[in-house]
Amino acid sequence: MQVPDHSLESKERSDMKRITTAVVALGAVAAFALAGCSNGSRGDTSGSGSTPSGAGTGTAAASQFPTFAAGATIGVSLPQKTSENWVLAEGLFNTQLTAAGFKPMVNFANNGVSDQQNQIQAMITAGAKVIVVGAIDGSQLGSQLEAAKQAGITIIAYDRLLTNTPDVDMYVAYDNYKVGQLQGQALLDGLKAKKTDGPPWNIELIAGSPDDANSKPFFEGAMSVLQPKIDDGTLKIPSGQKTQQQASTQGWLAKNAQNRMDAILAANYASGTKLDGILSPNDTLARAALTSVKNAGLPNPVITGQDSELESIPLIADGTQYSTINKDTGKFVTQVVDIIKQIQQGQTIQFNDTKSYNNGVKVVPAFLLPPVLVTQANVCTAYDPATSPSASKAALATDYCKSKG
Amino acid sequence: MTVGPVILEMKSITKVFPGVRALDDVTMTVRRGEIHAICGENGAGKSTLMKVLSGVYPHGTYEGTIILDGEDVHFANIRASEHAGVAIIHQELALIPELSVTENLFIGGNEVATRGVIDWVEARRRALDLLARVGLEIDPDTAIKNLGVGQQQLVEIAKALAKDVKILILDEPTSALNEDDAENLLDILRSLRSKGLTSILISHKLNEIAAIADSITIIRDGKTVETLSVDEGTVTEDRMIRGMVGRTLESRFPHHTPHIGEPFFEVRDWVVEHPQIPGRLVAKSSSFYVRRGEIVGFAGLMGAGRTELARSIFGRSYGTWRGGQILIDGVEVTIPTVQAAIAHGIAYVPEDRKTLGLNLLDTIKDTIVSAGIARISRHTVIDLEAADAAAEQYSRAMRIKAASIDVGVATLSGGNQQKVVLSKWMFTEPRLAILDEPTRGIDVGAKYEIYGLINELADQGKGVVMISSELPELLGVCDRIYTVFEGRITGEADARTATQESLMRQMTDTATTNPSTTVTR
Amino acid sequence: MKAIRQIFGGNLRQYGMSFALILLLVFFQWRTHGIMLTATNAQNILNGYSYVLILAIGMLFVIITGQIDLAPGSVAAVVGICVALSIKNWGFPWWAGVLFGLLIGIAIGAWQGAWLAFVGVPGFITTLAGQMLFRGLDQFIGKAASVPVPKEIRYIGNGYLPEWGPNTGLNNSTLLLGVVALVAVVAMELRRRRRVIRAKGTPVPLWAMVARLVGMAIALGYLTYLFGSGRYGTSFPVTGVILVVLVLIYNFIATRTTIGRGVYAVGGNRAAAALTGINTKKIYFLAMANMSFLAAVAAIMYVGRSTATGPSDGVGWELDAIAAVFIGGAAVSGGVGTVVGSLIGGLVMAILNNGMYLVGVGADLSQMIRGLVLLVAVAFDLYNKSQGKPSITGTLLRGLRMRERGEAKGMERPRAGVTQS
Repeated sequence: MQVPDHSLESKERSDMKRITTAVVALGAVAAFALAGCSNGSRGDTSGSGSTPSGAGTGTAAASQFPTFAAGATIGVSLPQKTSENWVLAEGLFNTQLTAAGFKPMVNFANNGVSDQQNQIQAMITAGAKVIVVGAIDGSQLGSQLEAAKQAGITIIAYDRLLTNTPDVDMYVAYDNYKVGQLQGQALLDGLKAKKTDGPPWNIELIAGSPDDANSKPFFEGAMSVLQPKIDDGTLKIPSGQKTQQQASTQGWLAKNAQNRMDAILAANYASGTKLDGILSPNDTLARAALTSVKNAGLPNPVITGQDSELESIPLIADGTQYSTINKDTGKFVTQVVDIIKQIQQGQTIQFNDTKSYNNGVKVVPAFLLPPVLVTQANVCTAYDPATSPSASKAALATDYCKSKG
Repeated sequence: MTVGPVILEMKSITKVFPGVRALDDVTMTVRRGEIHAICGENGAGKSTLMKVLSGVYPHGTYEGTIILDGEDVHFANIRASEHAGVAIIHQELALIPELSVTENLFIGGNEVATRGVIDWVEARRRALDLLARVGLEIDPDTAIKNLGVGQQQLVEIAKALAKDVKILILDEPTSALNEDDAENLLDILRSLRSKGLTSILISHKLNEIAAIADSITIIRDGKTVETLSVDEGTVTEDRMIRGMVGRTLESRFPHHTPHIGEPFFEVRDWVVEHPQIPGRLVAKSSSFYVRRGEIVGFAGLMGAGRTELARSIFGRSYGTWRGGQILIDGVEVTIPTVQAAIAHGIAYVPEDRKTLGLNLLDTIKDTIVSAGIARISRHTVIDLEAADAAAEQYSRAMRIKAASIDVGVATLSGGNQQKVVLSKWMFTEPRLAILDEPTRGIDVGAKYEIYGLINELADQGKGVVMISSELPELLGVCDRIYTVFEGRITGEADARTATQESLMRQMTDTATTNPSTTVTR
Repeated sequence: MKAIRQIFGGNLRQYGMSFALILLLVFFQWRTHGIMLTATNAQNILNGYSYVLILAIGMLFVIITGQIDLAPGSVAAVVGICVALSIKNWGFPWWAGVLFGLLIGIAIGAWQGAWLAFVGVPGFITTLAGQMLFRGLDQFIGKAASVPVPKEIRYIGNGYLPEWGPNTGLNNSTLLLGVVALVAVVAMELRRRRRVIRAKGTPVPLWAMVARLVGMAIALGYLTYLFGSGRYGTSFPVTGVILVVLVLIYNFIATRTTIGRGVYAVGGNRAAAALTGINTKKIYFLAMANMSFLAAVAAIMYVGRSTATGPSDGVGWELDAIAAVFIGGAAVSGGVGTVVGSLIGGLVMAILNNGMYLVGVGADLSQMIRGLVLLVAVAFDLYNKSQGKPSITGTLLRGLRMRERGEAKGMERPRAGVTQS
């Protein structure tokens, strides 16, 4: 066996040492050089450089929220593109924000919560000054909202409360508890008017998706009107499903409501029991329930709804669906844009509810808009062609409204 | 044998792949009505030449001309060559196991379809007709998977006949057949020849070629070496080997002086049940023993149960073990898993290296160390340097021909692949090596090398069990041969005195008695 | 040309997707007017996608063995709610909650692994069942509530390394990481060279190695700068650190341990692996169990970033992970794939997503583009594999490589899976 030759190895080794030091030094130099080339103090290089304490244009006094320049970017983060109201909102935000001189950045988070998280991040990076958030899940955006706050951005919670975070500045919505109350009262009025073979009346309850914070005020508002009538026997619930949990509809999905209603009808109404009324939190679920009832061969119940969807308006006109709620999206968006304009100019926002909305960390000042109940009685005149053009058109196109002239 | 005028001329065919000249100016002339054999070592270019002829390599991808029936033909694809009357039957049969014979015969449906609708009555009638031409008396509605390999081979030929074939090319047709089926196939070819069909036969089996071919083209390294015509004189196997290999082999088998010691491995009354069919025994109370330095052969027809026995012993990796003992150095051992088998020094080189012996995605190096990886790793972390060293060592010792140990095994020739598999098992330093058909699908030159390696193993004091379907191979290499028939060991013979006939008799004997189970010390 | 090849170390194929990645970065950097490659955005990308990349690592091993796991999203949902509730309702300290979550992940993984390995139910079915089972379990336990998590866990999902020391113009933690990484890379390269020399092979020429090291130094230097020069208080994010550590560990397992070899062996040819003495049941079990374990890790990171659990957590996660693995070069039939490849595949998708947000491509169009990218990337990869050719750059070097290898006598042009008769 040959004696191994080490001389080459030791030369290699010292070569190695030299190379190593050279490379490491080079790398460190590269990092420092780049750092040195940029500005020495580490500001945020993403473009939104405003400081968080109201140093802005014009107003001398400390303003409620940081002011900003006129042509700024405004971010609007909407949930999934699942209902006409949201699609309408997207269009309106784009038009109205542009008209007000801002640069709108409106996104739908079709792929869920992480999509929305990333989109909000992108809006921060793009330098938005205000972000309007229609949350998919209002409790899971905390990190992004924190980052936004640190960049001096004002956060407006739109229609759905942002919970579990201190970093939300205001909540703009239609008064959802009032919506619930209107629905409860409408159900009672409808039963009195149309189901003259009672009291007592049999009703069933439908609630919204358990992960939507708004489902609770809808249900509780309605129950505040209905519960006394249940207690005194005027109203009965044959299926026994009385709690919001039992009545909820995952994802606000029509098929879930229909499946549940099918099961309730089969179990409780198969042998002659009459179903007089259904409390439904919105139009989609109302129509799903109506389909279920029709498939079971039962007569049309008194049913409530919400959102004034184009498909439900003819049903309101001919009385199949007793009521819906108009939360005029146009007025809603206009209100938000007005608020944004006020913030930009440093004016104080007048909130009309600073007590009710505790999001788990703080009480969020709210600006509530009044919802409008729509039944056959006022369907032809309830919709303003200026702010709800398609709803108005749909109503006026029905035979009922045409016959009224 | 009346042989007619020239039907096919392949002139100056050259086919180049990047870096390799697979065919270099090859010329071959085939006469109408003859059986023309092509032989050569692995990699010589036989298959490539046939792929050129059958359109797998279309016109334009090679140089040279093909003249079929006097016409200069340019095949754009396989269909074109089939239209011209050239049908090729590959080594891997192209039949669909789940479908019936009829369905396979008319697989495109074109010959028996009008406007796309198949006439099954007509198809069946024609199927019966074709089957008769190849001497198969079976129900054409039988599913292919229920036929034996020999019968499937004949169905393939029937399929070719259905296409109105002028030249039938058969690639290694008897390699998967037992002696009876092989004989039958050759008879069919003879009868087809007498009806005027021209066949080209690619084969390793020199004895068969010598028995049936009219002329033989020998190809070596992509070049035509010579064409022998059988009626000009007797063509012997040695003559062919010389042409193929370029040298004379004194004998097919290297000389070996056995140094046999004491028995160290013994199996007693081993019983194995079929994995899917309960009650069917594939090994019926088998007993055998192996001595140090001894090469023990296992002879038997296909389906006799040798592989099943071997795999069952090797960690019960086949079927359900139903009884029996293994004794190593006189002490009974339990071997319930493959790992246990390896730990006890047993190695098993499988029959089908591609499906059971190799991970075709691996490199030579990874394969060589794979069975014994525990030796070069500590707490599951592999010592890469030790792996390199071991792989290099075995690669050199086994003379594996490859650019480096980092080459993928899928790119190696059959012989080199087998050497890699052997290396993999030698790396585990076994005491008993069970080799199942170790030279299947390998050319003559590489076979010789492998016999040499087997001899070396024996010389190292290891025991070798060799399962083989080639009786000459068993007689040439082994010291002792057991014969197996239908799961029973029917005989034990000394290789020096046994003959092919005596072995064959025992391989087909139904009245059996087990050989002596007591170990003579 | 030969020089370039030597710098890259010979196997151009695995760099194909990396070039695509760099191309994407350049394209979006241009389209977003420089926002793509800023500290904040880079940090956002890691914070927003590390959990997918970690899932991809687990999914890789499952796919190599020829199986698939459709349940990691549901598993993550269960783990998330268990961690959050154990802290809120049982009063666990945050680290106990994390440990609890990881244990649940391992338990679920063992469950699924057992069905696959010992009962023999194919992975697709086992995990499809698991997807439904554990989604239901999540809803049963959590009742669709949003349960917030404490700040330590939020730090795991969205936190940054501390600031300290002298003012270097960069976050010093990041700088330290960069220097350590550089030293490690150089050391490994030198060790590899020594190993090749000792095995009597021919090492790459010294200058080529130096060139490669210089290239890596510049790249690492740039990355250090990119992550370290953000707003004060930010750095290379914690999620990134966890990701890098896991990549290193699992890459080691894949390439240097017997378990890793076992995974590739079972995936490449299961019957042959069994006859080689590999415990195939153990391998299937481990791969499946590991996936759920990593799903638990991803869950904790995601819930930390989201500050609370939610009923839609984990929905669709498996598809993102599977896409990343296949874009990264794994084969549908198993036996092929690398950790780094999956990482790159995942980064391609992440950068594509992020870029499209920044540019303002709508959600629907963005979804269509992602689907197309997956299809095209895998098709392209298959095409390369079938031709035995590496990437476009590799085509340029093909002639050179063949000549160098000097085909031995009797070897046909290499084509995967085909040998001569």
